[in-house]
Amino acid sequence: MIVVQNLVKRHGAQDILKGISLTVEKGEVAAIIGPSGGGKSTFLRCVNGLERIQGGSIQIGDLRLLPETDPSRDSALLQQVRKRVGFVFQQFNLFPHLSVLENLTEAPVQVNGEPREQAEARAMTLLKRVGLDAKAKAWPRDLSGGQQQRVAIARTLCMQPECILFDEPTSALDPVMAGEVLKVIGDLAEARQTMIVVTHSMSFAREVCDHVHVFAGGHDVEHGPPARVFGDPQHATTRSFLREAGRD
Amino acid sequence: MRRAALAHVFAFLLYLSGALGGVAAAEDALEAARARGALRWGADQEGGAPFIYPSEQDQSVLIGFEVEMAENLTRALGVKVEFQQSQWDALPSMLQANKVDLIMNGYEWMPDRVAAMETSIPYYVYALQLMVNKEGPIQTWEQLRSLKPDGSKWRFGVLSGSAAEEYLADFAATVQTASYDGVTDSMREVETGKLDATLQDTPIANFYQKDFPRLRFAEAPVAEGYYVVYARKGDKALIAAVNDAIIGMYRSGELKRIYSRYGMWDDQQKVLGAIIDSGRFYNVAAALEAAPAEASADPATGAPAAAPVEEAPPTATEKAIEYAKLLSAAAGMTVALSAISFPLAIGLGLLIAVGRLYGPTWVRMPLTAYVEFLRGTPLMLQLYFIFYFLPELGLTIPAFPTAIIGLAINYSAYESEIYRAGLQAIPPGQMEAALSLGMSKPMALRRIIVPQAFRIVIPPVVNDFIAMFKDTSVCSVVTIVELTKRFSVLSRNNVSDLVVLMGLTGLLYLLMSYPMSLLARRIEKQLGNEVRV
Repeated sequence: MIVVQNLVKRHGAQDILKGISLTVEKGEVAAIIGPSGGGKSTFLRCVNGLERIQGGSIQIGDLRLLPETDPSRDSALLQQVRKRVGFVFQQFNLFPHLSVLENLTEAPVQVNGEPREQAEARAMTLLKRVGLDAKAKAWPRDLSGGQQQRVAIARTLCMQPECILFDEPTSALDPVMAGEVLKVIGDLAEARQTMIVVTHSMSFAREVCDHVHVFAGGHDVEHGPPARVFGDPQHATTRSFLREAGRD
Repeated sequence: MRRAALAHVFAFLLYLSGALGGVAAAEDALEAARARGALRWGADQEGGAPFIYPSEQDQSVLIGFEVEMAENLTRALGVKVEFQQSQWDALPSMLQANKVDLIMNGYEWMPDRVAAMETSIPYYVYALQLMVNKEGPIQTWEQLRSLKPDGSKWRFGVLSGSAAEEYLADFAATVQTASYDGVTDSMREVETGKLDATLQDTPIANFYQKDFPRLRFAEAPVAEGYYVVYARKGDKALIAAVNDAIIGMYRSGELKRIYSRYGMWDDQQKVLGAIIDSGRFYNVAAALEAAPAEASADPATGAPAAAPVEEAPPTATEKAIEYAKLLSAAAGMTVALSAISFPLAIGLGLLIAVGRLYGPTWVRMPLTAYVEFLRGTPLMLQLYFIFYFLPELGLTIPAFPTAIIGLAINYSAYESEIYRAGLQAIPPGQMEAALSLGMSKPMALRRIIVPQAFRIVIPPVVNDFIAMFKDTSVCSVVTIVELTKRFSVLSRNNVSDLVVLMGLTGLLYLLMSYPMSLLARRIEKQLGNEVRV
């Protein structure tokens, strides 16, 4: 489904990603963990076309992002990529001038030209799925952080993407609210939704994900099934990171 | 009267147009006027009595010796007169831009004007009259050569840029001059004792004498000069016809009758007769020959002046109602200007802001230049450019569209900056969220970013809208008569009703802007509720 090969990302003279290769199969959930500044979020943003890349390639089905992909010239391609690959932000980024329901239906109606009733029906189903159907008419500012993030997930789902990228979806939330959100993501994993999740929650990565990647210093230093990575870390960076994470 | 406060601007524009070779009158003005059936006469009613001013009986009717002269002149040419209001100092530009055919408005004979325009023979000999307070010490010009008894300089008020101001420059050691925009302002100040004296053109001094009973003329008038008619360079046929008409009016005694009605006939006007009879002014011999011989009656013994018909002066209430009507009509113009140009400015401003923030470099650079240029130059200059200069390049835009375009373009620069700030205040995550849902950039702007920015910018935008109501007054430079201009004309010509006029004008502005404030507050409240995150 997603094949990243030798991805290089630079900010000026600074190398953020130094040749990362990573594959996610359909129906698979990949977790990316690792110390801050390791390039985890940047990686996700590259896959969604929010950042230009300087080397390697990102293959999403039959779509391909390359260093020469130009956001203004190839906007149609980027739009295709983003329709297939949804993105959930750490800060939710709900549209404050739209109601919860409108947040969900805006893109299906405007981008795909779906009939509003059809989009609304699906949106209500999704809101029910994240436990917020009662809030359909509410404004985003009237919701708690956890509720906002669940709406954001529903909003992404409403575009029916093949894969969803989560960028530290619970970092801005307290543990209770984080739990609500992680449960929603866990449910999606059970429904075999393809996902890449950048997370600080080790328990989530261990229990929900099929594959764990450890990013550090712009490299994918170690990856494998969670049981193996957590149970028998091979790389020194992984070991020290897990020690640090265990203290929290 | 006044000399151009904006002389430099005009000089520059005229120079530019000359340099571009667009000066020549495209057609003969006299022929064009005959084809049209009307001659366009440019003057400023704000310059006031006795030249051209609203009648006390009916403020919507213009009277004045120049109004009567214009009627006589055009009758002699076989056409109607079409009065075109213009700011006094902008008249040469009006002529240049072919928006009027003639200037006749107390314009003095001056060498630089004669070089730039076609010039008629004089139609009036003016001089400068010293006016002092009856209780004041000034009796002679000689006194003014030394300081006041208390050792300070004599305080004079003069019309800004007038010949009087120039004349007093010679007395700089002992006289201190203050410049006023209206002719009556300094007379009032002499009455109250704030000033010691004022120096005025004789027609003005004679006419307003009755309104300022505490003023006295000191000595005979000094520094004679001529009022002449100016036409576009090259319109020799028109000027020749005007000369014929002036000579005819002088010889038939009509000129004397008109001047007498306004208390302007004096011994100095005998100079006119000398000029006409000798033909030694501006080589008008040819015109003299063409003049009808039987019209050469002695002007000094011409028919006695017809006494002006004395109508009962209107009551204070009648006058106030009349003022209210005229001012309300002018306020309608103010509303029309703002209501049409502001939406244009907002639309244009939004496009500019989006272009500057999200467009490619080749779009950004010219837009930045556009904004900086328009913010960095005065609205008035921009209006001048459109109205007086573009005709030189073959693009003639009438006054009202000029005002609309000028205001819209000028304000678009300010609105775009407000929008830019508003757009920048939207967190970048909003754009990313929209893009990640598959929206194109234009759609994300239209559906997500701009609607949010719109709510942020409402207060400053409404503020600008209210400011525009007041800025429309600048449009008087392109001959638009809106509320401030109407007030200005009425107040200069009805000195004693200043308070009523100010009150009415202020009230009208409030009536226009206050509902806007209320509306803005409501929109703000409604939209503001939705936005707070």
